[in-house]
Amino acid sequence: MKRISVAERANWRAYAEEVGFDFHTFDGEPYWDETAYYQFSLQQIENDLETPTEELHQMAMDMVGDITRSEEMLTLLNIPRDFWSYIWNSWNNGEPHLYGRFDFVYNGTGPAKLLELNYDTPTSLFETGFFQWVWLEDQIKNGVLPERADQFNSLHDKIEQAFAQLDLPQPFYFASVRDNLEDRGTVNYLMDMAAQAGVDVRYIPLEDIGVIEDMNGRGEQFVDLDDHPIKGLFKLYPWEFMVQEGFARAITAANTQMIEPAWKMLLSNKGILPLLWQRYPNHPNLLPAFFETGTSEPLGAGWVRKPLFSREGANVDLITATGEKISAAGPYADGRYVRQALQALPKFRDEYRNADTYAMLGSWVVGDSAAGICIREDESLITKDTSRFLPHIILD
Amino acid sequence: MKRSKKAALVLMVPVATLLLAGCGEEREQAMVFTDPSECSAAALNSAAQCEADFAAAQNLHPQVAPKYLNKEECETDFGAGQCETAPQQTASGGSVFMPMMMGFLAGQMMNRGGANLQQPAAAGAAAGGPNVATQPLYKSRDDRGTFRTATNAPVAKGIGPITLKPSQVKPQMGQVVSRGGFGQQAASRNSFGG
Repeated sequence: MKRISVAERANWRAYAEEVGFDFHTFDGEPYWDETAYYQFSLQQIENDLETPTEELHQMAMDMVGDITRSEEMLTLLNIPRDFWSYIWNSWNNGEPHLYGRFDFVYNGTGPAKLLELNYDTPTSLFETGFFQWVWLEDQIKNGVLPERADQFNSLHDKIEQAFAQLDLPQPFYFASVRDNLEDRGTVNYLMDMAAQAGVDVRYIPLEDIGVIEDMNGRGEQFVDLDDHPIKGLFKLYPWEFMVQEGFARAITAANTQMIEPAWKMLLSNKGILPLLWQRYPNHPNLLPAFFETGTSEPLGAGWVRKPLFSREGANVDLITATGEKISAAGPYADGRYVRQALQALPKFRDEYRNADTYAMLGSWVVGDSAAGICIREDESLITKDTSRFLPHIILD
Repeated sequence: MKRSKKAALVLMVPVATLLLAGCGEEREQAMVFTDPSECSAAALNSAAQCEADFAAAQNLHPQVAPKYLNKEECETDFGAGQCETAPQQTASGGSVFMPMMMGFLAGQMMNRGGANLQQPAAAGAAAGGPNVATQPLYKSRDDRGTFRTATNAPVAKGIGPITLKPSQVKPQMGQVVSRGGFGQQAASRNSFGG
């Protein structure tokens, strides 16, 4: 695993805007960054990332049924009691899932360590599946990279295939928070792949979803702005918010097929980390993790503290082995926490910026298959939504 | 090869066009009348059919008519003396008001070749209107000439045969729609993906 500086493609910004990648630069700071790329060997990809990704996915899936049956675990995960039977149903009815992403610490040698699961609302999908794929094709065409250079990135193929096989209700709706450019980009890309797979796709801002009910307040159904029923919905919005909001009750009454399904709530929760560690102690890809209690000792050196529900590194505190405390602010300070042993992200030298940089590796799962990787860089040990996205190649 | 064989976009590129379903929906014939005798006189349907359609619309009326918690608000929309008490009550036992039914829309048309319909009302309209739901019609305070559905869709300026798209006049059976029940935490948390 190497970080290699390279010249940017001449017109990539104009091209990005042409294909709807409007958030390539955020608040004047680069988000897509092709001033360098990461290079892996095929053996690193297959042995250290692809195989462990599928194994960890199976381990996580094996836990779902047990959690749905355990009041103790559901309580530890802060799942509202009103949704226990709904989640149990979603799992036992085999409601299908589409995709997820593991975040790993990996430095090129030794086992990749699982930081967390993004199994409900993973983004950076377009950057991975489309834009870094085009980057590689361009750089091969430009003669910058050799013909035999490859990429671990079958995301586009696999998602399109999944949409073709899922047998979704038609039309199938896609929702994200209105005015959120990045989320909209992810949803647009999913809709694009679904349309190519023959799905009749519709977009609706999450806030415009309606609930129609009869005059007795029964028979709730989700509807679009024309009051047409929404029978199938991809929602880029966390389950843990949906179950707390005004339409929570309608979810259990309506017969809308949700992607991701409700049982994904159990896996996108940081509480899955201590549960996995308990079930598979000393697994080479897992880090020690525990639930924090009201009387836990102060956070010690070499430990990280994360809220059960948090996205993009928000509200994460860590103390390095040398005692340095690093924190990321955020809005998720209202719940419970888990603690995870710190495995520091590998440090690389960013020659373009003449600065140190830390890289985190995301590993995608579509259905039950590993489907590619993406790399995020930050100047701090905590990867955030502002962290830069860098492409990668496989070359031996 | 560990990467996708292709990564193409069809919707996100500006040249792509997306054909929305629904645009191709055909117009169908239907009729608007104030009462069954007007309907019988037009001779497009039998007197019995006219009575049946009127009765069906009357039955539907209390279920689909827009509801108000006080009479003044109802009359603001539909005019003084144009509102009546609905059979429903609020949870606390209060009265509910709704506009009076001012006419009805009939979807079935038996006698399309009848004397009073010399020419099809609109060329190209699908015959019979089997998808148009028979339903009550209303008139708003500021537009007394226009018949409207319970959901305020204008359907005709006067009585007689018309053509319309069935989906535009689909009655909402006593249903209440609410919105905004998702996304309530969107303002306080600006990123939802991961």
